[in-house]
Amino acid sequence: MIKQKKLIVSHAPFIHNGSKISIKNYNIMLAALPALLAGFYYYGIRAVGVVGLSISFSIFWELAFSVITKSEKRIGDGSSAVIGIIFAMMLPATAPWWLILVGTFVAVIIGREIFGGIGGNPFNPSILGIAIIMLSWKEYFDFNQALINFDMDFNMFYPLAALKSFGASSISSFSIFDLMLGKQAGAIGAVFGIGIIIGGLYLIAKGIIRWEICFSFIAGILLTAMTFAMFAPASYTGPFFHLFTGYTLLGVFFLAPEDSSSPVNRMPMIIYGLGCGILTILIRNIGVYADGIIYAILIMNLINPLIDKIKPKAFGKV
Amino acid sequence: MNHKKELRIAYWLMIILFVVGVITYAACSKKSYENPLRIMYKTSAGNVLFDHKTHASEIGYGVVCSDCHHHPEDDDSGLTACNSCHTKDDKNTNLPESCLDCHDAGDIEGTEMKNSIDVFHDQCIACHKESGRGPVDCSQCHVM
Repeated sequence: MIKQKKLIVSHAPFIHNGSKISIKNYNIMLAALPALLAGFYYYGIRAVGVVGLSISFSIFWELAFSVITKSEKRIGDGSSAVIGIIFAMMLPATAPWWLILVGTFVAVIIGREIFGGIGGNPFNPSILGIAIIMLSWKEYFDFNQALINFDMDFNMFYPLAALKSFGASSISSFSIFDLMLGKQAGAIGAVFGIGIIIGGLYLIAKGIIRWEICFSFIAGILLTAMTFAMFAPASYTGPFFHLFTGYTLLGVFFLAPEDSSSPVNRMPMIIYGLGCGILTILIRNIGVYADGIIYAILIMNLINPLIDKIKPKAFGKV
Repeated sequence: MNHKKELRIAYWLMIILFVVGVITYAACSKKSYENPLRIMYKTSAGNVLFDHKTHASEIGYGVVCSDCHHHPEDDDSGLTACNSCHTKDDKNTNLPESCLDCHDAGDIEGTEMKNSIDVFHDQCIACHKESGRGPVDCSQCHVM
């Protein structure tokens, strides 16, 4: 007779393995630090103020919502603070306080709380907040105008605006290495590519975000940008410029892999990531917006439940 | 860490970061710069970002102030911004009120003032052509 190993499950109480939502969120905050510190270094005290207010307002909105609806106060789990941090990372250092107040309201209340709170949001709340204020007050996201009084030792023309308006030949003054180091005009937490990658790899190693989404997102960007550049090199630039400019890396590691708004199965994750990457380059190259990340991820968030049905994991399979 | 402790941390984080935000916003209120770094000219044909510092500095293009700021002549201490005299409106033939800061109305009556669109195009393109450097086509300056 074959001796079979059987899994024995005992009755409750069980031992908790220590993983908590708050631990996950503290790790995301930690992962965002390298990119944020670079933002503080380049843009100074103004950037600190923007990030501070964004976190504070985000926690406040969740607290206010829980008081009004008489529900349990969950601000301690850090999820609103994470929304605040990621939201601030996409803002210019000169963002006015009221823009942050409105944006965090949209992100926390409209983006998450009205859908039932944590885990119920169909869109990444930070992206929804940014998208709404970007459409409403687009002049604050003109980084050439927003950072006009910052004196740096590098080219302060927003790279994606240069590419969009003046074509591929105009970006020869930007070196990829400088872009990776954050020597470019942009949002507080989006300029320092190396820092975002370090934070992202930390999150992957910790199992907080899924590598399938991140790597397929990058693959989508590389393949699409390469295809454009191959057929019309005079009009379109290569993939690495796209990878290290705008919100790209922030989108890859901090925006697209958000739990609630991204797929849970492997093949859907890959399709989701590829879709984000392809759409980003399509919007940048043939759309009207200089940076397509926000809208690309929003669209993929929207069709995420459908993608998750393409190849579902067999239920109960061990 | 228990729930109550986490809640307490969140309260303190909210308050402390709010105070930090208010202080930094109060400390870094908007300033006007006498010698601007970059200037954004907003036009219906697409904004133009002019790098004032690079044009004016010795290590940049080394353009002398009076090459652009031509009025008043020989007085670098009283440099006036281009658009304080050259306004956008090409239908308005009246001289801007800023002229009256220094001149009597009778002295400047009948004086023609070019609008800013013509002035910037003439000045920028002429200089770029003369030096053989810099953009001269629309799409090389105007950000769409």
